Parts: sequence; structure tokens; C-alpha cells
Amino acid sequence: MDTLTFIVSLLYQYADTIAILVLSAIGLFIIFGMMGVINMAHGEMMMIGAYITSFSYYAGIPTPIAVIFGGLGAGVVGIVLERVIVRRFYGQLLASLVATWGISLILSQGALLVLGPLIKSVPTPFGSAGSDDLTFSYYRLFLFGVAILLIAGVWALFKVTRFGLRARATMQDPGSARALGVDVRQVYALTFGLGAALAGLAGGLFALTSTIGPFYGQNYTPQAFITVVVGGGAELISGLLLSVLSLGAIKTIVTNQVNILLGQVAMLVFALILIRLMPSGISDWVERRRLQSRRG
Amino acid sequence: MIRTNALLDRLLGRINGPLEPGRSPPFWLLVVAAVVVLALLPTFLSRYELLNFSNFLSNVFLALGLCLIWGFGGILSLGQSAFLGLGGYAYGIVGINLIEIHGNTWLALLAGLGFPVIVAAALGWMMFYARLKGVYVAILMLVVTLLIETFLNQTAGQGWFIGNAHLGGNNGLGRFSGVIREPPSLTLGFGAETMVVFKGKTQAFYYLVLGLGVLCYLGLRAFVNSRIGHVLVAIREDPDRTEALGYDVRALQLSVFCLSALLASMSGILYVSWGNFITPNVFGVFYNILPVIWVAVAGRKSLTATIVGTVFLVWLSQKLAIQGDIAFVVLGFILLAGMMLLPEGVVTGLGERIGRVFDRLGIGRHGARHGR
Repeated sequence: MDTLTFIVSLLYQYADTIAILVLSAIGLFIIFGMMGVINMAHGEMMMIGAYITSFSYYAGIPTPIAVIFGGLGAGVVGIVLERVIVRRFYGQLLASLVATWGISLILSQGALLVLGPLIKSVPTPFGSAGSDDLTFSYYRLFLFGVAILLIAGVWALFKVTRFGLRARATMQDPGSARALGVDVRQVYALTFGLGAALAGLAGGLFALTSTIGPFYGQNYTPQAFITVVVGGGAELISGLLLSVLSLGAIKTIVTNQVNILLGQVAMLVFALILIRLMPSGISDWVERRRLQSRRG
Repeated sequence: MIRTNALLDRLLGRINGPLEPGRSPPFWLLVVAAVVVLALLPTFLSRYELLNFSNFLSNVFLALGLCLIWGFGGILSLGQSAFLGLGGYAYGIVGINLIEIHGNTWLALLAGLGFPVIVAAALGWMMFYARLKGVYVAILMLVVTLLIETFLNQTAGQGWFIGNAHLGGNNGLGRFSGVIREPPSLTLGFGAETMVVFKGKTQAFYYLVLGLGVLCYLGLRAFVNSRIGHVLVAIREDPDRTEALGYDVRALQLSVFCLSALLASMSGILYVSWGNFITPNVFGVFYNILPVIWVAVAGRKSLTATIVGTVFLVWLSQKLAIQGDIAFVVLGFILLAGMMLLPEGVVTGLGERIGRVFDRLGIGRHGARHGR
């Protein structure tokens, strides 16, 4: 393998890692950024998305629509959970963590009980191309495109739309937002639903590349948690981007040079070092540097 | 009545302080009765039942550790079983290597207690000295424990020996991994005549667990009611204000975190001594959510409630496990229902009610607030 091939393959892996990190963390990130709640049932939202995708696909629905159904279904589940359970734990962050972990336990074990340990997976579309040294899966590249689109979409949603304005107001100061006529409860429910829907969508997209079972989401949650810890909740988009780009680089290099397990360990160690240096998250740190330099 | 109360306070001192509910004479009468019943249990139970019950009781230390940091210190760890596992593995590995040479497990015990504390100190230094938010500490601990599980699961190959101990991948340490050497039971004593082997099925093991349990319970009661314990509760209520008053919040959080790791490691060592095996499962999601369920449902702000709730819930999950996969679903519902209906804990809530009844009958002094 010559140097150019090596660089191209590394870049391809980097794009792949970034796509997986963005997709598996974005729903968790939005919920955490908006309400400070870590949704421990995030992996189960992904699982629900994957299950609905698989069931829809085998009911004869075209793959893209099946994946979208997965996202919508998880979103509905998310809204219901927020209304019935999660909203009782706002303002008690640790309790909300435990409560959503309870939900996670019920959903995954319930799926195991009702639907068994494995369901049919969905074939990967598009196929692949390349030479002996280097194979590209078109679907992996497609996922990278989706990840970028989702980030752009979420950015637009929060910066351009009326919902985004209300949501940002609520995030900054729920009391004042309520006083100015924002239905804070509705904003929370919709945000939680949005986070769950994005998780479900990611679950549906990943379902096309892997086996699906009740604990399927747990393959993705540890790295999603690390992404959130590194990113912090202060700035949604820039936090997510900075976190994913740095973690992705570490993971790609270590995975490429050693193995997948050490790649994950390296992410964790990097996260621990980073939080030691900038405890409130990378985006907050960058923001503060920016403000300082502006003040001169 | 007043005289008995004064007597209790003089006898028990800090153990009977205000930060742990349950201070009245009837409460202590119940405690003594419970200990007496527990001490007599081996004469009533069959060997199998005793074996089981010893196992239930050995989980109490893990739960007490979580109760201490979460209920009293406001630090939630979702990966508390990591310390149980590290303790068990360290004890097992050193035990396998040294049992034949030394004939006892003192060094293995020391390794089992020490290693998790060192890991806790390293992690805690990173997290608490960075003044990390509580939710971050909680999920980072979960990530840590899941990565340890992933690591241990891929150690099935022949390259993974530490001395004579084979890590054994997902079979773990023990007779299942096809290796003759399994981790020994605690073998403690001074000289050959006094050496006792604490095998899981023996009464000696049961009394060891019971004795340690009583000691830890009283010791932790004294600890939370000490000056340091009061500062710990102050940190839970408002870390910034506590710091402004001149206390070193970070050092205390770190120390208590290490203490909780020590307690968890006791459960781990007892687990290995009990069954002569340990697998990477103890680092997994389910082992880690269990102590959180026990402590949350029982009542995180009370050591007494934690012990009672843990033993009951462990017993319940074993009964449910016989029915198949339903155990965890039921535990999940119990957790959610408990948190929504009785946020301060079911056992704590019951205790308060019993305390109020005692009050109405005119016995006990502390009444509703400190009853049980």
C-alpha cells in the first residue's frame, strides 16, 4: 500500500468514524444541550428505530421510507416518555439519569421478552467500489452525507425557525421564556421527541449495516456519552462538531494503528484528559477564549 | 423514656447522630433483634438456603458504598460495580498465584481491597479536581466499566495469563474457563492452627459476611454523623457554599469516592470467595444498574434503608429470575414506580410511617423525622 492509498483510506475511515459519532450522539446531544438531561434510554430509542425499520422493510415498504418510519416511531415514543415520566424529574439531574436508565432497562428487556434475542436485519444498499487495497462502501459515504445534512438541518431548525427561537429562549432562561409566552412544557416535549427521533433515525440507518437485537443501541451509547461529555452542553452545533472532529481523529488513528478496542479506550482517555483541562466542555472553552480575546 | 434516650446517646455516641434516620430505643431494639435473628439463621436454614442468603448479604457493601456517595455526598456513579469487579479480579488473580505458596490469602485480600481504591483515586482525581458536573461523573463511570468489560471479554486467548491466572475472556476466572486453577476462597488466620477457609457454603463465610456487615453499618453511621459526614452532606446540598466556608470539597469528594470503591471491592472479594469464580459480566450494564435500583428504591439517604432494601430486592430478583427473563423488566418498573411515588425511597417511607405509629403510642423520641 503506497502512501497515497494509505492517506485516502485513513480519510475514508475518518469520515466513517465521524458519521457514526454524529449520528449516534446528535439526539443525545440535543436533549442534553436543551434541558441538561442525559437520556439514558438513548440506545433504546436507536433500538426502536432499528426494529421499526426492519419490520417496515419486511412489510414491503421501501428502505428509505422504512428508515424514516423508524425515526418517527422513536420520536413518538420519546414524546410519550417525556410527558409521562421524564418531565417529573426536571431540575433533578441525577434522578432524571436514573429514571431514564430505568426506562432503558424496561424497553430493552421488554423487547427481549416479547420479540426475542434477534430480529431480521436489513440488507445494505448501494454496494461498494474500489481496488484490492481499498474498498469503499457507498453506503458508508452516504451516511457521512446524512450526518452533514443532519447537522445543517438541526442548525437551521434552531437558528431559523420560530420553534428554534423558542427553544433557544427556553434553553437560556426557562423562567423568562415562560413569562414571554413560550409554552416551555411543549418545547421540552418536542425537543425530547426530536432527540429521540434523531436517535431512532440513526438506529434505522445503522440497522442496514449490522445485526439487530434488544441491546443493539448499547453498541453506540458509550461513544455517544463520551461525545457529549467532551462537547459540553453550552453550544449545540459547535460543541458537537468540535467534539466529534477531535474524538473521531483520535479514534481513527488508534483504531487504524492498533485495534478497535484501544480506539475506544483512547477516546475515553482523551476525554478524561480534556475534561481535566476544560471541565465545562470544549465548546464552552473555545467560547471563553473568544470572549477573552475580544475583550483584549 | 428520656433516661433511656440519654443512655443510648452516651452508649452509642456518634453512631446515634442526627444524619442517619432511626435513633430511638425501639429502633435499636429492632436492630438488635434483627442481628440476633440473622445470627441464629444458620440453625434454621438448609445448607442451600444459607448459601443463597450469604450471597444476598455480600451485596450489601456495594450498596452501602453507593448510598454513601450518592445519598450523603450527592455523587452518583453509574459504574459502581466496576470496583466490585476490579476487587474480585485483583483478589482472584493474586490468590490463584499465591495460595499454594503462602497457604493463605492475606496478600490477595490486600490486592483486592487496594487495586480498586487506586483506580478510584486516579479516576476521582481526574473528575473531582476538574470540578466535573455530576451527570458527567455518573456516565463516565458507566463508560469506564463498559470498556473494562469489552477489554476482559477479548482475553480468551492463551496470551492472557497473569502468572498462573488465565483471564479467560467471557468465561472469566474460574473452573469454567477450562483452567485447573480457580480463585481460592478467603483463607485467613495466623499460622496453620488458626487458618479458616471461608468457602461459600460454610457457616464461617456467613458469619464473616454478617460480622463485616454489622461493623460497616455501625462504622458508616459513625462516619456520616462525624464532622466530615456533616461537611459531606453540606457538599451534597450546596458545593459552592461549602467551599466558600473554607472546606476542601474536592479532597473530600475524592476520599469518599475511594471509600465507596473500598466497600464495593469487599463485595467483589466476598463474591469470588463465595463462588470461586468471576466473569466480565460484573462490569456490564445489568450489574451496574442493580445497585442503583437497590439504593434508589430503598432510600438513598439512609444506610439502614439501603441494607433492608438491598437484601429484599436481591431476594426478589432471584425469585423472579426463576420465572425467566422477566426479572429485569419488573425491577425497572419497581425503580420507576418507586422514584415517582416515593422519591425518598420505599423503605425510608415505610420507616417514617412506623416511626409515626411509635410516636402516637408514645414510645421513642425522634418521631416522624427520625423514626423507623
